[in-house]
Amino acid sequence: MSFWSRLTNVIRSGRVDRELDTELQFHLESRIEALVAQGVPREEAVRQAGRRFGTPIRWREQSRDVKLLPWLDSLLRDVRFGARALRRNAIVTTAAIASLSLAIGACVAAFSIVDALLLRPLTVRQPSRLVYATFPTGNPERPESDTFNDPTFVRLRDAGRGHVDLFAMSTQVMRPVTFWDGGGQKERVRTQYVSGDAFERLGIIAAAGRLFTAADDTAPGASAVAIVSHAFWQRRFGGDPSIIGRSFELVNERARDVRALQIVGVADARFTGVEPGRPTDVWMPYTMGDRRGFGNYYYNWFRIFGRVRDGVHVEQAQSVLHAAFATIRRERAGRSAPDTSPEAIARFIATPLYLRSAANGPSPLRQQFARPLWILAAIAGLVLIIAGSNVANLFLARTAARERELSLRLSIGASRSRVIQQVLIESALIAVAATLAGLVVAAVAAPMVTTMLATSDDPARLDLHLDWRLSAFSAVLALLVTGLFGLVPALRASGVAPIGALQGQGRSTMRSSALRHFVAIQIAFGLMVLFVGGLLVQSFARLSNVNPGFVSSNLLVLSLETVERVDAERQRAALLEVLPQLRTVAGVQVVSATEFGALGRPWTHVMAIPGTANARLESSVMPIAPRYFEAMQVPIVAGRPFGDADMIPGAGAVIVNQAFATRFFGDVPALGRTLDTRFGNNDGEAPHEIVGVAADTKYDLRRPPAPIIYLPLSERGTSTVLVRAAVPGQTLIPRLREAIPSANPLFRVGNVRTQAPVVGETLLRERLLASLSGFFAAVGLALVAIGLYGVLSYSVVQRTREIGIRVALGSGQLGVVQAMLVGVAIPTVLGIAAGLAGGLYLSRFVRTLLFEVEPMAPWSLLLPFALLALAAMLAAAVPALRAARVDPVVALRHD
Amino acid sequence: MARQDALQGSLPLLVLKLLARRGPLHGYGLATQIETMSDDLLRVEEGSLYPALHRLEEDGLIKARWSTTETGRRARMYEITTAGRKQLESDEMRWKAITSAVGKVLKQA
Repeated sequence: MSFWSRLTNVIRSGRVDRELDTELQFHLESRIEALVAQGVPREEAVRQAGRRFGTPIRWREQSRDVKLLPWLDSLLRDVRFGARALRRNAIVTTAAIASLSLAIGACVAAFSIVDALLLRPLTVRQPSRLVYATFPTGNPERPESDTFNDPTFVRLRDAGRGHVDLFAMSTQVMRPVTFWDGGGQKERVRTQYVSGDAFERLGIIAAAGRLFTAADDTAPGASAVAIVSHAFWQRRFGGDPSIIGRSFELVNERARDVRALQIVGVADARFTGVEPGRPTDVWMPYTMGDRRGFGNYYYNWFRIFGRVRDGVHVEQAQSVLHAAFATIRRERAGRSAPDTSPEAIARFIATPLYLRSAANGPSPLRQQFARPLWILAAIAGLVLIIAGSNVANLFLARTAARERELSLRLSIGASRSRVIQQVLIESALIAVAATLAGLVVAAVAAPMVTTMLATSDDPARLDLHLDWRLSAFSAVLALLVTGLFGLVPALRASGVAPIGALQGQGRSTMRSSALRHFVAIQIAFGLMVLFVGGLLVQSFARLSNVNPGFVSSNLLVLSLETVERVDAERQRAALLEVLPQLRTVAGVQVVSATEFGALGRPWTHVMAIPGTANARLESSVMPIAPRYFEAMQVPIVAGRPFGDADMIPGAGAVIVNQAFATRFFGDVPALGRTLDTRFGNNDGEAPHEIVGVAADTKYDLRRPPAPIIYLPLSERGTSTVLVRAAVPGQTLIPRLREAIPSANPLFRVGNVRTQAPVVGETLLRERLLASLSGFFAAVGLALVAIGLYGVLSYSVVQRTREIGIRVALGSGQLGVVQAMLVGVAIPTVLGIAAGLAGGLYLSRFVRTLLFEVEPMAPWSLLLPFALLALAAMLAAAVPALRAARVDPVVALRHD
Repeated sequence: MARQDALQGSLPLLVLKLLARRGPLHGYGLATQIETMSDDLLRVEEGSLYPALHRLEEDGLIKARWSTTETGRRARMYEITTAGRKQLESDEMRWKAITSAVGKVLKQA
């Protein structure tokens, strides 16, 4: 017996054997009792009964075969037969499995990412009752904000009591920490400040130690404790339980301090944080956050989450909170600048407060990638249809070749359902093999795609393990592929006339029309994939060519670390001293420094400009050292750049970019105007004078330049040194690593990057879309070509006799080729029409992601069409040539 | 062996007939019925009844269920199905045709 039947016997035989034994035993015992009742001694009765019954084992085996075999037999035979048939056509089978597994792998990978990032609910208690608060900003670049300040949170929390239990969780930041066993090395971990009751509200339990409680919220800075995530505990400490009670040092760059925090617990393994894709490593009580954040209405730094009480509607909770929010805003409005317009004040007060579902967690990553991922999933689905059509065509062609065998089977009494089963089992074999291979493809592809979702500084991490959702999806996919693409060939096969094929000398009862339907489908979907992929690739190409306003080549970005804890003032002074010394390093042209990388997200600041209608304006703020504009090669269009004198604290000079000048001053020159605001704690009250206007730079290449205020570095701390090199940047790195500590032993060079890849990282979403959709478009194109080639080759073989007759009757080679191609011409035209229509429809969904590319532009339409036409011509060339070379003598003797 | 073959061919027919006339029976009951009604003529190894029963069951001509006898033992009761009755009808007709044909030949020879 084969492997399969042994396997199923093992599964089923236990029960079958037991029942058979019981039945036979009953018979024997009844017989013995009957004999005993007739007066036969028991021993003799046993012997007689046994003799009359025969060997029980033999009957049991026979019955067992009766019961188990029919159940297995046909299936087993079909599987064996199918596997043999598929092995015989090893190349075709491999091609089918390979293309299908690629497509299935893409679908499974897309699903696993979509599921992990977009669909899966948070692993908290009753995620559907979890909400977070947002309010509209009126800023088109960021229409809704979900960050709040401490006093607003405290007041909202009090107002919501009884309806919704609010708690705070800060935005997540990668912060450098030093662990006791790290040899003083700084490691970057993802940190989050949370209010003491957050874990309790979320319904998270501790895997070890304790979690935070309300007692950790008593006073700012009072509770120097931390909780690590289970994953981080495993990854960094190998699950060592002795870390509880140990302390590590955390550098808070904004607050410019270092503090020791004691690890008191590990969170439950299933809880990875509230932001899918960005799992938290370390949680801290929010009272350990920046001291300036407490009691300060201007310092927005955390999200407000809430668990809506049972029996309370979300709308109810929302209206209660909105009322409190309006009260707060009414109070705050009284403090706005005296010349603020009444409309602006009314708008400010009327700002609504929304409660959004946090069932699967608020995620900027999701906001950024939801649409691209759905688009990629859709494209993967289209490629699957193309690959599936290829498999269907393969089976149709094979069915045609096996017509005689099928016909014979039907003639000698095989039922049509048996023939359908036979063909379906073959496609199921392919589907199962392709799904298994596809899971491997997905296991490799999904993590690769995940790394494309984020920068190496703040990596995305998704839980992509094979869970029941993914298994179910793969199984359904395999079933669909079998059903969709196996059923047509199977029905065709069962439709073979029993006797016809046996009689007909090469006359086929089966027309290749079904093949042509699939050609049309493939061309339509292939064109759609090409069209959308083409748009996305073009868009990325355009975007890559956008001038960011500075020169990114040969620009090094060094993050500096201090080897000991120093006062922020001393550190800044030391840095400003080091910068000129670095210029002496061979190959260095200009050296400057900034708090952020050139394209890093600067912080924004809210302020008022005296003498204008701008009651409340928001602008990016960027602290820089002298020579910054020289290093970045950004021209100064008016006024002057910063000099060393501007770095003295309280000097009060600022530089703005052109976008700022135009937006807030219009035609009036910005130079010499003042900004009345405090940018940090150690600012003087003195107004800031605009001493220069710099040309625009873009930190988001997709958008018009945003307003920026450049501050002298003296007013904030820094960690980034910019080096403009005269030689390719890479060669300078070792020299700079040596030069910086020797200039001042306080500093050490941490991470070094060249600016060019940093620019690329801001286009993550576009690059992901362009590279994957481009890849899918290429795969789709290849599959369409293969499909067309297969169909034409098959029809040439099928029509060899016809071609022979045509040639014998004097048709030229051109005529033969024409006759061959005419058959696929109509489906091709139909496919192209449907494909273009579908492509234009799909382009509506990608439109918002396109940059300066128009779907309706002639070039956008022509490119995929031309590519497909080229591929189709190449694919048709070989079979057409073969048809043209048919020798009538050979062809007519054929069969 | 010859006797057994003769029975083996007609065993399904006998089983169907008995079940049609006597209602649900277990294997042992069927065996004793066949035994008494055929005057031990068709007596063979009784166990061979079971593979035949199970084949009829797989073919859907009879169905089986477990039940408990008066003595409190579990026995498998067999019952004829509608398909079984149809099969019985045609088998019976064929059997009669064959036996009458064979009878005629034997008489005339």
